[in-house]
Amino acid sequence: MRIQIKNLTKKYVMGEVEVNALRGVNLNIKANEFVSIMGPSGSGKSTLMNILGCLDTPTTGQYLFDSIDVSTLDDDKLSEIRNRKIGFIFQTFNLLPKLDAVSNVELPLVYAGVDKAERREMAINALKRMGLANRGGHKPNELSGGQRQRVAIARALVTNPGILLADEPTGNLDSKTGDEIMAVFRELHDEGNTIILITHEPEIAEYADRGIVIRDGLITSDEIHAEARKFHHAQL
Amino acid sequence: MQIEENIRVAFNGLIEHKVRSFLTMLGIIFGVASVIAMLSIGEGAKREAIKKYQQLGVNNIIIRDMDLSDKELEEARAKFSPGLSMKDVEAIRQVVPQVVDVAPQAEREVETKYSDKSLKATLVGVTPCYSELLNYTADLGSFIQEDHCVRQLKVCVIGADVAAKFFNVSDPIGQSIKVEDQWLEVVGVLQNKSLFTETVGELASRDLNSDIYIPLSTFNARFEPTKQLSSELKQITVKVEDTGNISHIAGIVENLVSRHHFKNKDFSIVIPVELLKQEEKERRIYNILLGSIAAISLLVGGIGIMNIMLATVMERTREIGVRRAIGAKRDDILSQFITESLVISITGGIIGVLIGLSLSLTISLSTEITTNVTLYSVVIAFLFSVLVGVTFGYLPAKKAANLKPIESIRYE
Repeated sequence: MRIQIKNLTKKYVMGEVEVNALRGVNLNIKANEFVSIMGPSGSGKSTLMNILGCLDTPTTGQYLFDSIDVSTLDDDKLSEIRNRKIGFIFQTFNLLPKLDAVSNVELPLVYAGVDKAERREMAINALKRMGLANRGGHKPNELSGGQRQRVAIARALVTNPGILLADEPTGNLDSKTGDEIMAVFRELHDEGNTIILITHEPEIAEYADRGIVIRDGLITSDEIHAEARKFHHAQL
Repeated sequence: MQIEENIRVAFNGLIEHKVRSFLTMLGIIFGVASVIAMLSIGEGAKREAIKKYQQLGVNNIIIRDMDLSDKELEEARAKFSPGLSMKDVEAIRQVVPQVVDVAPQAEREVETKYSDKSLKATLVGVTPCYSELLNYTADLGSFIQEDHCVRQLKVCVIGADVAAKFFNVSDPIGQSIKVEDQWLEVVGVLQNKSLFTETVGELASRDLNSDIYIPLSTFNARFEPTKQLSSELKQITVKVEDTGNISHIAGIVENLVSRHHFKNKDFSIVIPVELLKQEEKERRIYNILLGSIAAISLLVGGIGIMNIMLATVMERTREIGVRRAIGAKRDDILSQFITESLVISITGGIIGVLIGLSLSLTISLSTEITTNVTLYSVVIAFLFSVLVGVTFGYLPAKKAANLKPIESIRYE
């Protein structure tokens, strides 16, 4: 699962003002990388995340997702990519409040057309992986913040997407729970998942192997973190 | 399988917002219930009318002697009109080939007695074919026979009310009742005839159950006319081969009788089947009117659904965004919301059908109005509610489907 971005720009029209959210971004992300994208608010990191997640399309430039040019895809195909190949994790969890944990985790499988018995089993397994085997019947409001985020991660994982897009996943959690969640991401990375982490907190970005900083719609720095470098060297 | 999921979600939503869902459904419920109740009243009236006219005979043309004042009667006789008579009967029978049979009938009001009871009744002189033309059958004994007429026998067939009044427990057959100054032997009792409260053209409503039928020949021989100038017959019933050209034949018969009466308008012609058609036409207009009212009610119900669905879409913008982000296609969202409005309208439709059925039952039990629920009215009402659900659910669902995922997922 590779991501290749060439000269990507994104313009918004907000009222009468034209906003250049991204002004020529070049980025390559290989399979099984753990990348953080950091930047202050208004830097364009959320726009980049939306485009990476096939929720939005670029104004100009090229975005190859797994060698497919995303700009050629229609809405249905984009939905399919989001469903099968990308797992989203949001700051506010975005679980459906009326559904219990298992049903929330099942949801992507509903749209993937998996039949009922099978998707239930898959959802329960995903929850087990997140250490929530006995919380399946609980509604989101009966769970703690950390548990909710774990349910959300289970939902992102359940279709085996290969790439996880996390937008400020610890933003609504206390630091201890945040660390726990980040440990989960590390683990998932070790299991072979590609992880792209959007954050504005340097401490959280530290968990990733590669840190990208974006400012005013441009990538200003892109480097392998010290520890990761050590790891890379050890491998070489 | 996704449909199943949609229905489950829709029902959960319905149960969660019980009051809101019920209020939304009200329009549909009233619409469907009123369609069913109104159509059942219309259908009931139609069946009543058909029954009524069937009793007069759908193949019949009825010629009635007009009720004239003494002065008018004198005038008519002065202009050589003999009034309705056996001559007319013979003429119709011989001249008009499409006529199957002709039944003459003479009438007079009489006082009748049995033991210590007395009763006012209508004495009707008839020929045997009368029973066949007007669908009269005897419950007990038999109707007037050919032999009775030929021999001018003093026999009678009594209506159900007369029998009930005079012969409460005993068997009337073979008994004799006194009509004016004549003793008549009862040979038959007619089956109960429903009473019409309305008039059918010139045929004044009359309680057929208190009629006493005797052979026409006996009537002529034994009972003096009440007035000097009275016509010989009160009514001639003409049966034709088929109803197709009944108006045309009625025209011929009218000309014929009119010529015999030297153009005096002292009789009237009633074609029951034509009256039935006329009445049906009027009822159709009435039904269309009622139907439109019900349709407006359904329309209002539909707008109610649309309103609540638009609010629901707004309320659940974020949910829509989440669903889109994890892979729901536009069509998935579209079908989810259409399913929800369908669930509301179909549930409303089912409740409406039940209320409509009980309403029509209540009407028929508590009032004089006859109602009749037909399957097609239930099907139509139900399909209408489904149609309303799809039509008015489409716009909000389309709106939901077209929401941009990134915008809706951040919607607060």
